[in-house]
Formats: sequence, C-alpha cells, structure tokens
Amino acid sequence: MKSDIQKVRNIGISAHIDSGKTTLSERILFYTKRIHAIHDVKGKDGVGATMDSMELEKERGITIASAATFCEWMGHEINIIDTPGHVDFTIEVERSLRVLDGAVLVLCSVGGVQSQSITVDQQMKRYKVPSIAFINKCDRSGADPARVIAQLRAKLGHNAVALQIPIGLEMNFQGVVDLVDMKALYFDGENGEVVRVEEIPAELRDEAAARRTEMVEAASMFSDELMEAALEEREIPREILISALRAGTIRRELTPVLMGSAYKNKAVQPLLDTVCALLPCPSDVENTALDMDNDESPVTLESNPDKPVVALAFKLEDGPYGQLTYIRVYQGSIAKGSTIVNVRTGKKVKVGRVVRMHADQMEDIESVSAGYIGALFGIECASGDTFVSQGVNLTMTSMYVPEPVISLAIVPKDNKAQINMSKALNRFTKEDPTFRCHVDAETNETIIEGMGELHLEVYVERMKREYAAEVTTGNPRVAYRETITQRAEFNYTHRKQTGGSGQYGRVAGWIEPVADEEFVFENKVTGGSIPTQFIAACEKGFRSCLSKGPKLEFPVTGVKIVINDGASHTVDSSDIAFQAAARGAFREGYAKAKPVIHEPVMKVVVETPTEFQGPVIGLLNQRRGMIVGAQDEGPMSVIEAHVPLAEMFGFSTALRSSTQGKAQFTMEFAMYKLVPQSIAEKIAEEVAARKKNAA
Amino acid sequence: MFKKDLILRNPLRSFGRGGEEILAAGCFGAVLAPAGVGKTAFLVQLALNAMLQEKKVLHISLDEPVTKVSLWYAKLFQDLADRANLTRLDGVLEDLLPHRFIMTFKVEGFTVPKLEERLTDLTAQNIFHPEMVLIDGFPFGEADRERLMALKLLAGRLGVHVWFTVHTHRHEKPTAEGMPPALARAGDLFDVILQLDARGADITIQPLRGIASDAVENRLRLDPATMLIRDEG
Repeated sequence: MKSDIQKVRNIGISAHIDSGKTTLSERILFYTKRIHAIHDVKGKDGVGATMDSMELEKERGITIASAATFCEWMGHEINIIDTPGHVDFTIEVERSLRVLDGAVLVLCSVGGVQSQSITVDQQMKRYKVPSIAFINKCDRSGADPARVIAQLRAKLGHNAVALQIPIGLEMNFQGVVDLVDMKALYFDGENGEVVRVEEIPAELRDEAAARRTEMVEAASMFSDELMEAALEEREIPREILISALRAGTIRRELTPVLMGSAYKNKAVQPLLDTVCALLPCPSDVENTALDMDNDESPVTLESNPDKPVVALAFKLEDGPYGQLTYIRVYQGSIAKGSTIVNVRTGKKVKVGRVVRMHADQMEDIESVSAGYIGALFGIECASGDTFVSQGVNLTMTSMYVPEPVISLAIVPKDNKAQINMSKALNRFTKEDPTFRCHVDAETNETIIEGMGELHLEVYVERMKREYAAEVTTGNPRVAYRETITQRAEFNYTHRKQTGGSGQYGRVAGWIEPVADEEFVFENKVTGGSIPTQFIAACEKGFRSCLSKGPKLEFPVTGVKIVINDGASHTVDSSDIAFQAAARGAFREGYAKAKPVIHEPVMKVVVETPTEFQGPVIGLLNQRRGMIVGAQDEGPMSVIEAHVPLAEMFGFSTALRSSTQGKAQFTMEFAMYKLVPQSIAEKIAEEVAARKKNAA
Repeated sequence: MFKKDLILRNPLRSFGRGGEEILAAGCFGAVLAPAGVGKTAFLVQLALNAMLQEKKVLHISLDEPVTKVSLWYAKLFQDLADRANLTRLDGVLEDLLPHRFIMTFKVEGFTVPKLEERLTDLTAQNIFHPEMVLIDGFPFGEADRERLMALKLLAGRLGVHVWFTVHTHRHEKPTAEGMPPALARAGDLFDVILQLDARGADITIQPLRGIASDAVENRLRLDPATMLIRDEG
C-alpha cells in the first residue's frame, strides 16, 4: 500500500435519484480499470451496476447502503463511498458523510437543481463537505448546463464556476472545452476510453475565452499571486490557477462545475482529474474525536500513521465469510495481527484480515493507515463503534443513545419468515443502536422500537428484501409514560386466609414525585414494624408496578416511595405477602397522587425555501407544535419547533405536498411532556379499545 | 404560584408605574451599551417578565441563531429562579415558551416588508399575536431613519412596543444632547432610552430619556456575574 497521504481522496457521489449517480460510479470504476465491462443500473442485462449490492436498490434503481469502493487514478488512490440519495435513511447518510473528505454533487442537465439536490446539498453543508458539481446527461434533449449553473448559484447559494463548456448539446454533444488548459476534449473508442485532445473549435473560442476570464476572476479571490497575474494580464501558470481553485473549493467558497454524460461515456476522465486536483486529501480536513475521560470534549486528530489508532466502523455487511466491517482510520494505523480496543464495549479485538473493498470483491492488504478506508473481517462490533489503541479513550461518535420513542408490533407470515426475521433483527440491532426489539410477555408479539415512523418502516422493508422475511405490522404506538404530580399517603394491609398458612403484611408510607430519576425507594421504618428481611420484598413489590402503571398501563417514571410503618405476623408474613402488600399500597397511593400521562415531544427542524415558511409554520401549529423560532438564511429558512411524536405520523407526506417537495425535516427526541386533558382522554379510549380487542 | 413569585421578585417592576408597561403601544425603547455589557441579557429579562405576565413576546435577532437565543432564555430563567431560591421549576419555563417566538434574520436580509410578511404568516393563521417585540442587533451604524420610521408605523399598526439593543463604542463622543452617535439621526423616534454603564465592578442602568432618573438611578444594577437586574433600593 502506498503511503502518500496527499494522494488519497475519500469522496462521495451525492445526487438526486435518477440523475445518474450509480451510472457515473460505474463508469469511474471502468476507467480506473476496477471493472472490465459496463452494466446498466436498471439491470437490463441482469447484472446491474456494481455499486448497488442490495436487492432493493437494484430493483428501484436507488442506493441505500453505502458501499466503499477503492480505485486508482493517475497515481491517486480514491475511495468512493456510495452515499444514499434519499433523505429518509438519515443514519446511513450521516455515517457516510462523516467519513468523506469531499464530494461530487451530480446534477441532471435537464432537471437541474431539484428538491432532492437541495436536501443533499444541505446535508453536505451541515458536515462541511467540500464539493465539485458534475452536470450529467448533457446528451439529453433539453440539456442546458448554463441554466443549471445559474440554479446552483440562486437556489443553493454556491459560488459555482464552470471549468468547462460543452461542445454541442443534446444529440450533438461531442465533448467539452477544458477552460484551465484551453483545449477541446473528445472521447473516442467503444466506451469513450480514448481521450483526444484538440484545439478549441473556432466557433467556441470567444465563449471559451470569456468563461475562462470569469473562472480566473473567481479563483483570484483565493490567491494574491493569481490576482496580480490576472491584473497585469500576464500568462497565468497552471499550478497557480489550480492551487487557487483548490483553496476556494476546500473552504467551500467556490464550487467548480464540470459537465458530461456518464451514460454516453463522455467527460468522466476529466472529472476524475479534477477530483484529484481540487478535492481535499485526508490531511487537509480537520477531524475531531470526543474525549471520554474529559466529558466528551472535542480533540483534534492528526492524520499521522505513527500516532495511537482512532478509527470509526461506519458500515457493516454480512458477507459469505462472516461480518465485514468498513472502517475509516483517522489516526494511527491498523495492521493485520494488531490488537485494538472497541471503545463502546471496552473489549480488545485482534485484527485478522484487513481488506480493501471493491463493491462485492475484495483485496487483502497488510494495514490501513490514517486517512484510509478499509474493511476488517471477523470483528464483532456495531456500526458507529470507535476502535482505538490500548490506553486511548477517544470516541468518534457520542456514546449517548436516545431511548426509542415509537414501537411497532411485527408478526412473521410463516415459519420460514420467523427464522429470517430473527436473523434480520439480530443484524439491525447491531447496526443501529437506536433500533431495538423485544418480545412482549403478554401478547407474545415481537415489538420493534425506534426513533420515528420512517425509521421503523425502512427496517421492515429491508427485512422483506434482504432476508425474505415477510412480516405484517401493527399500528405504530407512541411510548407514553405515567407519573404522579403530588404526594400521597398509603397504608395497605394484605390479608389472606384460604386454607393452609395465611398471608399477612401491612405497608404504610407515602409516594411523591421526583425529578430526573425513574424510581427511588427509601426505607424509614423504625422499631422493626416491618422486619428487615421483608424490606427487599417490599421494594420488589413496588418495582413490579412500574412497568405497567395503574392508570393506563404505561411505564411509570419519576416516583419516590418512602415506607415508614407497617405490621407483620410471626406465622403468616412472608416475602410473597409483603410483595402483594406493596403492590396494593402502590395502587392505593398512586390513585391519590393525581397520576398524569406524559408523551414524547420531538424537536423538529424544518428547512424550507423561504416562500413556504408560512405554510410550514401553519402545518407545525396544527400538530400541537410549539414553534420555537424561525431562522431566515437567505433563500432557505429553518424553522424549529417542539411537536408531540403522536402528531408526527404522516408529517413527511404533508410537508412534501405543502412545499412542492422542497422542504426537508429532521426530528429528534427532546423531552417528555404532560399530555393535555383532551388528548389524555382520547388515549384512554384507545387503550380501552385495544384491551377489548385483545380480550 | 411560581410565576407569581417570580413576578413579585422582579426588580424591573420599579420601572413600570403600578404594573403598567414602560412603553405604550407603538413606542420604541432602546438599551445602549458597548459590546459585552449585557444588552441582550437585559432585553431577555424584559421578555421573561412579560412572558410571566402571559404577554406574547416576539424576539427578533439579527446575528444569532435560534438555538443561541433560546439558550439566553434558559440560562437567565434558571438564574432568576436560583436567585429567588425557587426549586422544582421543571415545566415552568416550558409553560412560558409558547408566549415567545424567535425570528432570526441575516443582518443584510432584514427588511420591514419581509418582517411584515412573516408576521402576517403568523397572525393570519392565528398562530402568534405579539404584544411586545425585541430587536437585537439592528444595524444602527447605517442609521437609516427610514427603516426605523417604517418599523414604527408597523409597530403602531400591530399595537406593540419595540425594544432595541444599540451597540455603542467606548471611544465615541456623545452628541450635544448626550446621545451616542448611533442614535444621533433617529434618537427622536425613541421614547425610552436606557444606558448600561460598566463602572468598576458594577453595571449601572442609567435612563437617558423617558424615565425619571431618580426612580432608577443608583438603584438598579446589572450583576456582572449573572447579568441579572438587581434592585438595591
């Protein structure tokens, strides 16, 4: 493995569905000689493009999981992370954006900047990923790269600068004029593999000169040397121009624009040249980890292979030889046979095989060092885990995992589906810490839990596609909770005399609300009115009431129990008797302590074009949302609100239809909050109906 | 209960006459200070006080994101509660928040027609009807009187009063009337002007206009540690 970090590029190809992202990836792999034949995405020849390895993706022509693929171009090593273009797969997207240093934003020359491109662009902005734009499909009728560049400026606010102009368009699209070298490029051969360099056609010379001047002007903002040369109208050295363009690109203040047609095999090679020339290498990008010993404060990592290891497992895949773990090394290097520590579990792991991936094929290598992406075999871990050298306690992702807020019952169709379903669930819970599952002891149903409606839908769909596990789903249920609002006393006697030895126990004390704790138990019994050996039984009895609250059978939280008196009988008192007494006491006190229902409230952030701000605020307000604020950011606005999760079902559809699909939103759990009286009544009705159905 | 306690303990009451607002509808107030002395903290306390009295407050910030503005409220509310020795406050701030709406704009993107359009979005759908408006970070340096005139008309139409923060500079000489240069051209639009003055370890609140100075002077201070308003009278 080479070790010149300056020549490594970890890039993503991000785009709107159907703008030709996968085709472009495929062509890149062909020109870099990683594959030897070209297939179509929609799989006319039954093979399908190499990057989409999941069935679901092949069928729909979209990309869900991010496979990392390695290739080489002109002495540079390029890792392509295939990023999902769909908003709903956020965890996947966020993980893959995390490991990228730069990206190619693919746009359709006909469709231009569509709503999805806006979404993708927003994500890149959030993660500060420098990008270059590639205007694809210049051979299509209606192609107009100049319009797309104008949209890049107006809709996305990019300082878009063309590095090429097209030679002919639509049916007559022949090649491009390179404005850096002022040459015309044509692509010959069956698959466009031969690049023919010629003089610029006479009719394009004036336009090329004008565009070049524009480009030099834009680039000169990033280089005094270039500015001087341009002002003095001297010959501009290529290196100076490139380094100025690169500086602007890395700072995200300039977006170079290239164009071509991946499907017609035109102008993909110049794109690769530009990726190498302008996108950052791993050491140009600052990466930070969180220090676990220091309250998760950020620490800057050095992309130095001799430092202690810090690496992120960003993707897991089930291969024929076991679990394959994709990692990005940020610091140090992971070699075959070395020992690393999984920060989350604290377990030491020995590295067996280290490989470099090319979609479904792999190549064994000795080690992966800082800045590189590789894959490990046979390592037990979950997606998002951080691996470090022994003695280091850094993590790439926060260890905080939120509690799931929504649940869904799933029932397998048949016995085979049952087996596959458990395989799938096992895998998904490992991949995603916010996805959980358990079996309900009463109904015997399998319950999956997660962070939102879509989150669960995606997993149900993946179960069907990848594991052939057909399941039927129930209605999603919000994780409500019960708690009390005031102090109340209890004094309960449990007495039973039915043949044999009787049961007797009396428990007295009070119940009161407590903040920030689920359950507190305090024993203030004096004088042995409850013998010490039964105190534990009392606590157990109280605890057993928490999982199903007496009010509406939701889990009870924020309760403090204090016992201060009681009575026992020398013969009839037992553990069981005191447990029963405690349960009775809990019910007695709880009813008097004004129990209420709490519901999960989500922090919802909507990013929308400013013209839809009013409708979006209206939409959030209708859903019992409390709008925190609206932030105006030029063409886009960001609206932040707190909305009860129960009201968020179907929100994405409503949002799409009222904003022409141009808005996107993120949602995360914020807090539990008291349910208003009218809603609480409705919930009580639903629970009653559900009970009746179950009975 | 808690709300009542907080209102009673609020030293700002010595501004108002018998619980009335300091400013009438359509009037402008300004809080003047150099950077870092506590203009925003002062405004947020005015807002919290209004929210405790169930008045709707629109907070417009021209340089800070929504999250940061929210943090100001959370922090000052906590300090206020701590000072009043009120525990068990969970939920009180959450109950207050529906009385607040934060809007942020980029300084260069802030225009009166735009603000009016946003406000119409809110009022037409019956989502939020402000009774008090705070504008933090208005660029007085450019001193465009016309924009302020338009804002004043808007405030009159909506029946709200508006508080501004005015960023002054220590090296600037006040005008003949004792106004900072930033307000020189538009000072007459303001009905109440308060100046925060860092003197030694203390920050005093000096009324330059609109409030009898003996009512406040030497009595109200801003605690430099918490930026809370303190009544020493």
